[in-house]
Amino acid sequence: MSWAAHDLEPYAIQRHVKLKLAFVPLLLGSYSPDMMTKWFVYGIHIGPWDLKATDPAKFHRGWPGFGFTHSFVYGIAIALIIWKVFDSKLWGISFLVGQFAHAITDTGDTVGTMLLFPWTFHFHLDAWAYAGQTGRMTDAAAYFSGLGSMWDAVWIVYGLFSWRVLTSRYFDDYIYRADAFWPFLNRAVPRGALLTLYRAAFFYGTSRWIAWTIWAHVIHHYPYDLSWGGPHWVPAAHP
Amino acid sequence: MRLRLKTELPDRNDLFVFGGYCLAAAVYIAIGVAYVDFLLSFWVGLGYLLLVAWLVPAVVRRVA
Repeated sequence: MSWAAHDLEPYAIQRHVKLKLAFVPLLLGSYSPDMMTKWFVYGIHIGPWDLKATDPAKFHRGWPGFGFTHSFVYGIAIALIIWKVFDSKLWGISFLVGQFAHAITDTGDTVGTMLLFPWTFHFHLDAWAYAGQTGRMTDAAAYFSGLGSMWDAVWIVYGLFSWRVLTSRYFDDYIYRADAFWPFLNRAVPRGALLTLYRAAFFYGTSRWIAWTIWAHVIHHYPYDLSWGGPHWVPAAHP
Repeated sequence: MRLRLKTELPDRNDLFVFGGYCLAAAVYIAIGVAYVDFLLSFWVGLGYLLLVAWLVPAVVRRVA
Protein backbone atom coordinates (compact mmCIF):
# COMPACT_ATOMS: atom_id res chain seq x y z
CA MET A 1 0.00 0.00 0.00
CA SER A 2 1.05 3.57 -0.50
CA TRP A 3 1.17 6.16 2.24
CA ALA A 4 1.44 9.43 0.34
CA ALA A 5 1.14 8.70 -3.39
CA HIS A 6 -2.65 8.75 -3.25
CA ASP A 7 -2.55 12.29 -1.82
CA LEU A 8 -0.10 13.51 -4.45
CA GLU A 9 -1.04 11.80 -7.71
CA PRO A 10 -4.16 13.94 -8.29
CA TYR A 11 -1.96 17.09 -8.54
CA ALA A 12 0.28 15.44 -11.12
CA ILE A 13 -2.76 14.33 -13.11
CA GLN A 14 -4.27 17.80 -12.75
CA ARG A 15 -1.17 19.35 -14.27
CA HIS A 16 -1.88 17.61 -17.56
CA VAL A 17 -5.67 17.80 -17.73
CA LYS A 18 -6.39 21.40 -16.63
CA LEU A 19 -10.11 22.02 -17.31
CA LYS A 20 -10.93 18.47 -18.38
CA LEU A 21 -11.31 17.01 -14.87
CA ALA A 22 -12.79 18.14 -11.57
CA PHE A 23 -10.32 18.02 -8.70
CA VAL A 24 -12.60 17.01 -5.80
CA PRO A 25 -13.92 13.76 -7.34
CA LEU A 26 -10.42 13.07 -8.67
CA LEU A 27 -9.13 13.19 -5.09
CA LEU A 28 -12.12 11.20 -3.79
CA GLY A 29 -11.43 8.56 -6.42
CA SER A 30 -7.81 8.42 -5.36
CA TYR A 31 -8.81 7.86 -1.72
CA SER A 32 -11.83 5.65 -2.35
CA PRO A 33 -10.32 2.12 -2.47
CA ASP A 34 -9.00 2.38 1.10
CA MET A 35 -11.69 4.63 2.54
CA MET A 36 -13.72 1.95 4.30
CA THR A 37 -11.10 -0.70 4.92
CA LYS A 38 -7.84 0.69 6.31
CA TRP A 39 -9.07 0.85 9.91
CA PHE A 40 -9.92 -2.86 9.89
CA VAL A 41 -6.59 -3.79 8.30
CA TYR A 42 -4.66 -2.24 11.19
CA GLY A 43 -7.31 -2.92 13.83
CA ILE A 44 -8.94 -0.59 16.34
CA HIS A 45 -9.95 -0.70 19.98
CA ILE A 46 -13.57 0.12 20.81
CA GLY A 47 -14.13 -0.22 24.55
CA PRO A 48 -13.34 -3.83 25.45
CA TRP A 49 -13.26 -4.97 21.82
CA ASP A 50 -10.31 -5.31 19.51
CA LEU A 51 -11.49 -5.28 15.93
CA LYS A 52 -9.09 -6.46 13.26
CA ALA A 53 -9.25 -8.59 10.14
CA THR A 54 -7.97 -12.14 10.71
CA ASP A 55 -6.16 -11.96 7.37
CA PRO A 56 -5.56 -8.22 6.78
CA ALA A 57 -3.94 -8.57 3.34
CA LYS A 58 -6.75 -10.76 2.05
CA PHE A 59 -9.40 -8.51 3.59
CA HIS A 60 -7.79 -5.42 2.07
CA ARG A 61 -6.83 -6.69 -1.37
CA GLY A 62 -8.23 -10.18 -1.82
CA TRP A 63 -11.38 -12.12 -2.45
CA PRO A 64 -13.35 -12.97 -0.37
CA GLY A 65 -12.68 -9.52 1.06
CA PHE A 66 -12.72 -5.91 -0.11
CA GLY A 67 -10.02 -6.29 -2.74
CA PHE A 68 -12.57 -5.50 -5.43
CA THR A 69 -12.33 -1.83 -4.36
CA HIS A 70 -8.93 -1.83 -6.10
CA SER A 71 -10.34 -3.05 -9.41
CA PHE A 72 -11.33 -1.26 -12.60
CA VAL A 73 -14.88 -2.59 -12.46
CA TYR A 74 -15.41 -1.02 -9.02
CA GLY A 75 -14.18 2.35 -10.31
CA ILE A 76 -16.46 2.13 -13.33
CA ALA A 77 -19.48 1.14 -11.20
CA ILE A 78 -19.02 3.98 -8.70
CA ALA A 79 -18.27 6.45 -11.51
CA LEU A 80 -21.53 5.50 -13.24
CA ILE A 81 -23.45 5.94 -9.98
CA ILE A 82 -21.87 9.37 -9.46
CA TRP A 83 -22.65 10.33 -13.06
CA LYS A 84 -26.31 9.38 -12.63
CA VAL A 85 -26.85 10.66 -9.06
CA PHE A 86 -25.11 14.03 -9.55
CA ASP A 87 -25.98 14.23 -13.26
CA SER A 88 -22.33 15.03 -13.89
CA LYS A 89 -20.24 13.19 -16.43
CA LEU A 90 -17.28 15.32 -15.35
CA TRP A 91 -17.51 14.10 -11.75
CA GLY A 92 -17.94 10.49 -12.87
CA ILE A 93 -14.90 10.53 -15.15
CA SER A 94 -12.79 12.45 -12.62
CA PHE A 95 -13.58 9.90 -9.93
CA LEU A 96 -12.73 7.11 -12.36
CA VAL A 97 -9.29 8.54 -13.17
CA GLY A 98 -8.45 8.93 -9.46
CA GLN A 99 -9.61 5.41 -8.61
CA PHE A 100 -7.68 3.88 -11.52
CA ALA A 101 -4.53 5.73 -10.41
CA HIS A 102 -4.87 4.26 -6.91
CA ALA A 103 -5.54 0.72 -8.12
CA ILE A 104 -2.58 0.80 -10.51
CA THR A 105 -0.20 2.36 -7.97
CA ASP A 106 -0.96 -0.38 -5.46
CA THR A 107 0.19 -3.05 -7.91
CA GLY A 108 3.69 -1.93 -6.89
CA ASP A 109 3.73 -3.92 -3.65
CA THR A 110 3.96 -7.67 -2.96
CA VAL A 111 0.20 -8.27 -2.70
CA GLY A 112 -0.88 -6.16 -5.65
CA THR A 113 -4.44 -5.60 -6.78
CA MET A 114 -7.14 -7.55 -8.59
CA LEU A 115 -7.32 -5.00 -11.39
CA LEU A 116 -9.52 -7.20 -13.58
CA PHE A 117 -11.92 -8.40 -10.88
CA PRO A 118 -14.02 -10.60 -10.96
CA TRP A 119 -10.91 -12.33 -12.24
CA THR A 120 -9.14 -12.73 -8.89
CA PHE A 121 -5.60 -12.70 -10.25
CA HIS A 122 -3.40 -10.21 -8.37
CA PHE A 123 -1.27 -7.94 -10.54
CA HIS A 124 1.83 -7.21 -8.46
CA LEU A 125 5.23 -5.79 -9.32
CA ASP A 126 6.74 -6.76 -5.92
CA ALA A 127 8.72 -3.52 -5.75
CA TRP A 128 8.05 -2.98 -2.04
CA ALA A 129 6.81 -5.17 0.80
CA TYR A 130 3.16 -5.15 1.81
CA ALA A 131 3.26 -5.19 5.60
CA GLY A 132 -0.21 -4.01 6.63
CA GLN A 133 -0.71 -7.26 8.55
CA THR A 134 2.10 -6.31 10.97
CA GLY A 135 0.20 -3.31 12.34
CA ARG A 136 0.28 0.38 11.57
CA MET A 137 3.64 1.27 13.14
CA THR A 138 5.66 -1.61 11.67
CA ASP A 139 3.94 -1.04 8.34
CA ALA A 140 4.94 2.64 8.47
CA ALA A 141 8.52 1.77 9.37
CA ALA A 142 8.73 -0.80 6.57
CA TYR A 143 7.06 1.37 3.96
CA PHE A 144 9.29 4.35 4.67
CA SER A 145 12.36 2.13 4.46
CA GLY A 146 11.66 0.66 1.03
CA LEU A 147 10.99 1.58 -2.57
CA GLY A 148 7.38 2.52 -1.81
CA SER A 149 8.69 5.55 0.01
CA MET A 150 10.90 6.41 -2.97
CA TRP A 151 7.88 6.15 -5.26
CA ASP A 152 6.10 8.68 -3.03
CA ALA A 153 9.18 10.90 -3.23
CA VAL A 154 8.90 10.87 -7.03
CA TRP A 155 5.39 12.31 -6.74
CA ILE A 156 6.54 14.96 -4.25
CA VAL A 157 9.35 16.08 -6.55
CA TYR A 158 7.04 15.99 -9.57
CA GLY A 159 4.48 18.03 -7.61
CA LEU A 160 7.08 20.64 -6.68
CA PHE A 161 8.28 20.68 -10.30
CA SER A 162 4.64 21.35 -11.24
CA TRP A 163 4.42 24.20 -8.70
CA ARG A 164 2.09 26.26 -10.90
CA VAL A 165 -0.68 23.75 -10.18
CA LEU A 166 -0.59 24.89 -6.56
CA THR A 167 -0.75 28.64 -7.20
CA SER A 168 -3.81 30.80 -6.64
CA ARG A 169 -3.76 31.77 -10.35
CA TYR A 170 -4.05 28.14 -11.39
CA PHE A 171 -6.81 27.59 -8.85
CA ASP A 172 -8.78 30.54 -10.25
CA ASP A 173 -8.15 29.74 -13.92
CA TYR A 174 -8.68 25.99 -13.92
CA ILE A 175 -9.79 24.33 -10.68
CA TYR A 176 -12.54 26.81 -9.81
CA ARG A 177 -13.79 27.14 -13.36
CA ALA A 178 -13.81 23.44 -14.19
CA ASP A 179 -16.28 22.42 -11.52
CA ALA A 180 -19.51 24.06 -10.29
CA PHE A 181 -18.79 22.59 -6.86
CA TRP A 182 -16.34 25.40 -6.05
CA PRO A 183 -18.67 28.33 -6.86
CA PHE A 184 -21.38 26.50 -4.90
CA LEU A 185 -19.09 26.16 -1.89
CA ASN A 186 -17.95 29.75 -2.34
CA ARG A 187 -21.44 30.95 -1.38
CA ALA A 188 -20.66 29.96 2.21
CA VAL A 189 -16.87 29.59 2.31
CA PRO A 190 -14.41 32.39 1.46
CA ARG A 191 -12.16 31.94 -1.54
CA GLY A 192 -9.02 31.85 0.65
CA ALA A 193 -10.37 28.84 2.52
CA LEU A 194 -11.22 27.11 -0.77
CA LEU A 195 -7.68 27.61 -1.99
CA THR A 196 -6.37 26.11 1.24
CA LEU A 197 -8.76 23.16 0.85
CA TYR A 198 -7.45 22.60 -2.67
CA ARG A 199 -3.84 22.54 -1.48
CA ALA A 200 -4.55 20.39 1.58
CA ALA A 201 -3.88 16.93 0.13
CA PHE A 202 -0.52 17.99 -1.26
CA PHE A 203 0.41 19.54 2.08
CA TYR A 204 -0.80 16.45 3.94
CA GLY A 205 0.98 13.94 1.68
CA THR A 206 4.29 15.78 1.61
CA SER A 207 4.38 16.69 5.31
CA ARG A 208 3.38 13.20 6.32
CA TRP A 209 6.08 11.68 4.11
CA ILE A 210 8.74 13.82 5.79
CA ALA A 211 7.37 13.21 9.29
CA TRP A 212 7.17 9.42 8.92
CA THR A 213 10.65 9.34 7.37
CA ILE A 214 12.05 11.24 10.36
CA TRP A 215 10.10 9.00 12.74
CA ALA A 216 11.39 5.80 11.09
CA HIS A 217 15.01 6.77 10.53
CA VAL A 218 15.93 9.51 12.99
CA ILE A 219 13.85 8.55 16.01
CA HIS A 220 13.77 4.76 15.59
CA HIS A 221 16.72 3.94 13.29
CA TYR A 222 14.94 1.36 11.13
CA PRO A 223 17.36 0.33 8.36
CA TYR A 224 16.74 1.40 4.78
CA ASP A 225 16.47 -1.46 2.32
CA LEU A 226 15.89 -0.12 -1.17
CA SER A 227 16.29 -3.48 -2.85
CA TRP A 228 13.43 -4.81 -4.97
CA GLY A 229 10.71 -6.20 -2.71
CA GLY A 230 12.24 -4.69 0.41
CA PRO A 231 12.60 -4.02 3.14
CA HIS A 232 13.39 -7.65 3.74
CA TRP A 233 13.54 -7.26 7.52
CA VAL A 234 9.73 -7.24 7.58
CA PRO A 235 7.62 -10.31 6.69
CA ALA A 236 5.95 -9.33 3.43
CA ALA A 237 2.44 -10.54 2.64
CA HIS A 238 1.70 -12.18 -0.69
CA PRO A 239 -1.58 -12.99 -2.50
CA MET B 1 16.57 30.67 -35.87
CA ARG B 2 17.68 30.56 -32.26
CA LEU B 3 15.57 28.66 -29.77
CA ARG B 4 15.59 29.71 -26.13
CA LEU B 5 14.30 27.66 -23.28
CA LYS B 6 11.88 29.74 -21.26
CA THR B 7 11.58 28.73 -17.64
CA GLU B 8 8.82 30.36 -15.69
CA LEU B 9 9.98 31.02 -12.19
CA PRO B 10 7.81 31.73 -9.15
CA ASP B 11 7.45 35.42 -8.35
CA ARG B 12 7.98 37.05 -4.96
CA ASN B 13 4.38 36.48 -3.91
CA ASP B 14 4.53 32.77 -4.84
CA LEU B 15 7.70 32.37 -2.79
CA PHE B 16 6.15 34.20 0.17
CA VAL B 17 3.14 31.86 0.12
CA PHE B 18 5.42 28.84 -0.30
CA GLY B 19 7.47 29.99 2.71
CA GLY B 20 4.32 30.23 4.80
CA TYR B 21 3.31 26.69 3.87
CA CYS B 22 6.84 25.44 4.63
CA LEU B 23 6.62 27.03 8.08
CA ALA B 24 3.22 25.41 8.63
CA ALA B 25 4.64 22.08 7.43
CA ALA B 26 7.61 22.33 9.80
CA VAL B 27 5.29 22.73 12.79
CA TYR B 28 2.99 19.95 11.55
CA ILE B 29 5.97 17.61 11.10
CA ALA B 30 7.37 18.44 14.54
CA ILE B 31 4.03 17.70 16.21
CA GLY B 32 3.61 14.56 14.08
CA VAL B 33 7.01 13.14 14.93
CA ALA B 34 6.34 13.71 18.64
CA TYR B 35 2.74 12.40 18.53
CA VAL B 36 2.31 10.15 15.49
CA ASP B 37 -1.45 9.93 16.00
CA PHE B 38 -1.50 13.51 14.69
CA LEU B 39 -0.33 12.21 11.29
CA LEU B 40 -2.95 9.53 10.87
CA SER B 41 -6.02 11.50 9.89
CA PHE B 42 -6.44 13.52 6.72
CA TRP B 43 -9.15 15.51 8.50
CA VAL B 44 -6.78 16.52 11.28
CA GLY B 45 -4.28 17.65 8.65
CA LEU B 46 -6.99 19.57 6.80
CA GLY B 47 -8.20 21.24 10.01
CA TYR B 48 -4.65 22.16 10.96
CA LEU B 49 -3.96 23.66 7.54
CA LEU B 50 -7.19 25.65 7.49
CA LEU B 51 -6.29 27.03 10.89
CA VAL B 52 -2.71 28.06 10.18
CA ALA B 53 -2.82 28.85 6.45
CA TRP B 54 -6.20 30.57 6.24
CA LEU B 55 -7.94 31.40 9.54
CA VAL B 56 -5.00 32.80 11.50
CA PRO B 57 -3.70 34.93 8.57
CA ALA B 58 -7.25 36.14 7.89
CA VAL B 59 -7.72 37.18 11.52
CA VAL B 60 -4.30 38.85 11.63
CA ARG B 61 -5.08 40.78 8.42
CA ARG B 62 -8.42 41.90 9.82
CA VAL B 63 -6.89 43.02 13.12
CA ALA B 64 -4.03 44.79 11.37
